[in-house]
Amino acid sequence: MVNVFAVPVFFIVFRETIETVIIVSILLSFLKQQLGPDRDPNVYKKLRKQVWFGTLLGLGICLIIGCGLIGAFYGLGTDKWAGAEYIWEGVFAILASVVITIMGAALLRVSKLQEKWRLKLAKALEAKDNAHGKFGHRMKAWGEKYAMFILPFITVLREGLEAVVFIGGISLGLPASSIPLAAICGLAGGALIGFIIYKAGNTAPLQMFLIASTCFLYLVAAGLFSRAIWYLEQNSWNKATGGDAAENGSGPGSYDIRKSVWHVNCCNPEFNGGGGWGIFNAILGWQNSATYGSVISYNIYWIVVITGFVLLRFKEKRGRWPFMKAKPTAASVDENAKSNDGSSDNSLSASKEVGRVGVRSGSDISQA
Amino acid sequence: MALTLLRQLALATTLLTTAVIADVREYNFTVGWVDRNPDGFHERRVMGINGQWPIPTIFATVGDQVVVNLKNELGDRPCSLHFHGLYMNGTTHMDGVAQSTQCPIPANSSFTYSFNVTQPGTYWYHSHVDGQYPDGLRGPLIVHDPENPYADQYDEELVVTLSDWYHDEMPGLISSFLSVTNPTGAEPVPDSALMNDTQNLKIPVQPNKTYFIRVVNMAAFAAQYFWIEDHSFRIIELDGIYHKPTEASMIYVTAAQRYGILLTTKNDTDKNFPIVGSMDQDLFDAVPDGLNPNVTSYLMYNSAAPFPNATILEDAFEPLDDATLEPTDELALYEDPAISYTIDVKMDNLGDGANYAFFNDVTFVRPKVPTLYTVLTSGDLATDATIYGVNTHPLVLSHNQVVEIVLNNHDPGKHPFHLHGHAFQVLTRGDDDSGDWDVEAFRNGSVKYPTTPMRRDTLLVRPNGHFVIRFRSDNPGVWLFHCHIEWHVDSGLILTFIEAPLQLQQQLGGENGIPEDHFDACRAQDMPFQGNAAGNTVDLLDTTGFNVSPALLPDGFTPRGIVALTFSIVAGLLGVGVIVWYGLGEISTIEQQKEQQKINTFAKETGVVEVTGVDAAPAGHAVAGREKDVGYTAANEVK
Repeated sequence: MVNVFAVPVFFIVFRETIETVIIVSILLSFLKQQLGPDRDPNVYKKLRKQVWFGTLLGLGICLIIGCGLIGAFYGLGTDKWAGAEYIWEGVFAILASVVITIMGAALLRVSKLQEKWRLKLAKALEAKDNAHGKFGHRMKAWGEKYAMFILPFITVLREGLEAVVFIGGISLGLPASSIPLAAICGLAGGALIGFIIYKAGNTAPLQMFLIASTCFLYLVAAGLFSRAIWYLEQNSWNKATGGDAAENGSGPGSYDIRKSVWHVNCCNPEFNGGGGWGIFNAILGWQNSATYGSVISYNIYWIVVITGFVLLRFKEKRGRWPFMKAKPTAASVDENAKSNDGSSDNSLSASKEVGRVGVRSGSDISQA
Repeated sequence: MALTLLRQLALATTLLTTAVIADVREYNFTVGWVDRNPDGFHERRVMGINGQWPIPTIFATVGDQVVVNLKNELGDRPCSLHFHGLYMNGTTHMDGVAQSTQCPIPANSSFTYSFNVTQPGTYWYHSHVDGQYPDGLRGPLIVHDPENPYADQYDEELVVTLSDWYHDEMPGLISSFLSVTNPTGAEPVPDSALMNDTQNLKIPVQPNKTYFIRVVNMAAFAAQYFWIEDHSFRIIELDGIYHKPTEASMIYVTAAQRYGILLTTKNDTDKNFPIVGSMDQDLFDAVPDGLNPNVTSYLMYNSAAPFPNATILEDAFEPLDDATLEPTDELALYEDPAISYTIDVKMDNLGDGANYAFFNDVTFVRPKVPTLYTVLTSGDLATDATIYGVNTHPLVLSHNQVVEIVLNNHDPGKHPFHLHGHAFQVLTRGDDDSGDWDVEAFRNGSVKYPTTPMRRDTLLVRPNGHFVIRFRSDNPGVWLFHCHIEWHVDSGLILTFIEAPLQLQQQLGGENGIPEDHFDACRAQDMPFQGNAAGNTVDLLDTTGFNVSPALLPDGFTPRGIVALTFSIVAGLLGVGVIVWYGLGEISTIEQQKEQQKINTFAKETGVVEVTGVDAAPAGHAVAGREKDVGYTAANEVK
């Protein structure tokens, strides 16, 4: 068993794959439902390509870096990576958390628009020329245009490299023959879960799917944000103690007692693949050794997200931000819209319009 | 340096050849800082005596009275002197252990040690305050023996000291060792190894002569493998106890151990031979780059001949097992013990995050009142261990009983254990990873105790191994039993034997007991010297104010953790709820229009406006097709 199937390797690969496929499958499912091959095949294909390109490019890069690291690991006998590992993890986790958060809100909000406006927006974003303007604007425009690329790219880069490094570290004590099967099973298991999410996403009512997947994404992002802080704290702890504390297992000394909120000498998501706890960590941010930083950042994340959505909702309802006066442009907006677009929407009365869009989004499914 | 040594050698030789009668050996020692660079890498201040470092060797002859008038001129540190290995029978107050047998000697004050030497052999003396001696205050103490049974077998005598050496001073090293940032308890690794407090010393020898070499390891931490290239030798002494001559070519000398060996030199003088000490790197958590664990001196047969580099052994060390030796006096195995203590050694972290060392879950913390003074001021309660405080780990012994210690090492490290006031018999010692001692092994005959067991005062226990030792409680006093790795002294691997306290009160309780300068030392530092461990004199059983170790590490979820986890779960659920709420809510017309305007503007910029015409038809169719549903829902909502 041990010679052909290294359980820790399986768990590592499975865990990292799950985290990646959640993102990728939700995005693909979103694209299919919102743009669909039968609505705007051109834009749909392009955006879908972005997702896959981001995934594969991320995978390629982390394989190259990972191979280099493992080569150095065996060749030079030193773990050059160990010093920077947690910083990498922390920075990318924050980045991923922020990107997921923005994307999640954007996807949910976009879905509230009527279909043709969504398509128009997608097309406009896709066609956007980002060669002009100030650097900041260009970056923003680039980010908007290639959002479907960036998110999977960042996710895969982080998870993939993490997987490679963990396996590199663990496999020193394992027979080489035990790694491939375990890694392939982990990948296959993760991919299967991604496929199920994708299929479920495509068949579920659109609104339900969107809400559920957004909740899921935000749970992952909250966990990522908390873990980012945890990684950075762990990095400074490792610096202070002069070694990788995770190598000490889960017991005393593996954590900084001064910052500890809780610590159980088990259930370690980092140690030896982490098993189920590793997956719990990947999806919901579990720590067996929670710090003030990790707990507070987790809660702050949710406070910010809750506040953000309440404000968005307020604006959606009232057309202004709280404590600010509404801009007196409603009429001119209406005029503008009329002059630019002759669709039936504009003929609908305001009272009818209220309470419509959500329902329509939901019933889009019947057509899809 | 070499001069000092030679002078010492000359003195030793003179003493040996002079007919000696009982005498008073008076030493006036002024302890102060001097700058030295013994390994040639780094000059630092060290604790010297009378401006000298290496500090002088104390010489005496069996039967002598030794008087050391000590003046502490360190300025910033207290100090003390412990005469390692001397039984101090009747003078336990001269054992020199701060907070056990005396108050530390404060800076700018004087203190007199006075005791009779009744035992021959190789000893050493060192400060016993806060693991302080590695800063330099340690030197050999040699007791010559007019009745040495091996006197006719050697011509001359040499003292070879081994030591590890640190470039930094102990207080800083101790605080970084006993720190939350050193949770594994990794001991500071020495910077160098020294022999006779230097390196590459040339020791002149004559061909075809026999030398009695007294090897003393004065290290803070590192044991050393010791050998002389192309020479073997006969061991005749372990820690002051004569043993039957045993041939060996390599010995393993732990911190605080001494070996007396007879070395017969070669017949020819063509070559010089390295004397090699090699620090046991198994002890080190991580061996730093560039550490040279070896130190070399030379048997100089011929000053004109070359001094070859020592052949460095990597790990093919094969030292003699000292437990196999037999004492010359053939003292028989003590009878079955009146009391046997089983002591488990472990390392663990406490609530302050630092790593501590434990005997049976107790880590040593110094009492406020030196334990000896508690004995002397507690009357009949002196036999009640409570008054000494849990963290001095007091074990009260009756007079003249056989005491057995079964020590089980639950730590993967090697530890040299030292008992003050006694040499003990070594009944058995387990190999690496032999686990706990099981007395069944003796009962069923698979382990036999020697009939005349080896005796010494410092014994190595192997990683995850054990040993069994016995001694007779014939020496009233307060005697520590501790690991002689100074780091572990600091992290609490100490227990206190309170041996025959009532007899001790008779010995030292009167007017002629403890000299006044001992109490002056306490007074100068406002340290209590009466009452129980906390200085409570009214109710000695009142344990308030006792020094105790830090609390245990919190286990798992404390209320803080439960609250934090609950809050996090609630925050997550609330967040999910808000997302659902937001996702279900619809955009008002005003916002919808604003959004459309934005998209239009945006679409114009990017030049896709024209395309909308194509999409408009299916989109419009969809809307029209669902008009009915929408109206229905909207109507419902209005209600």
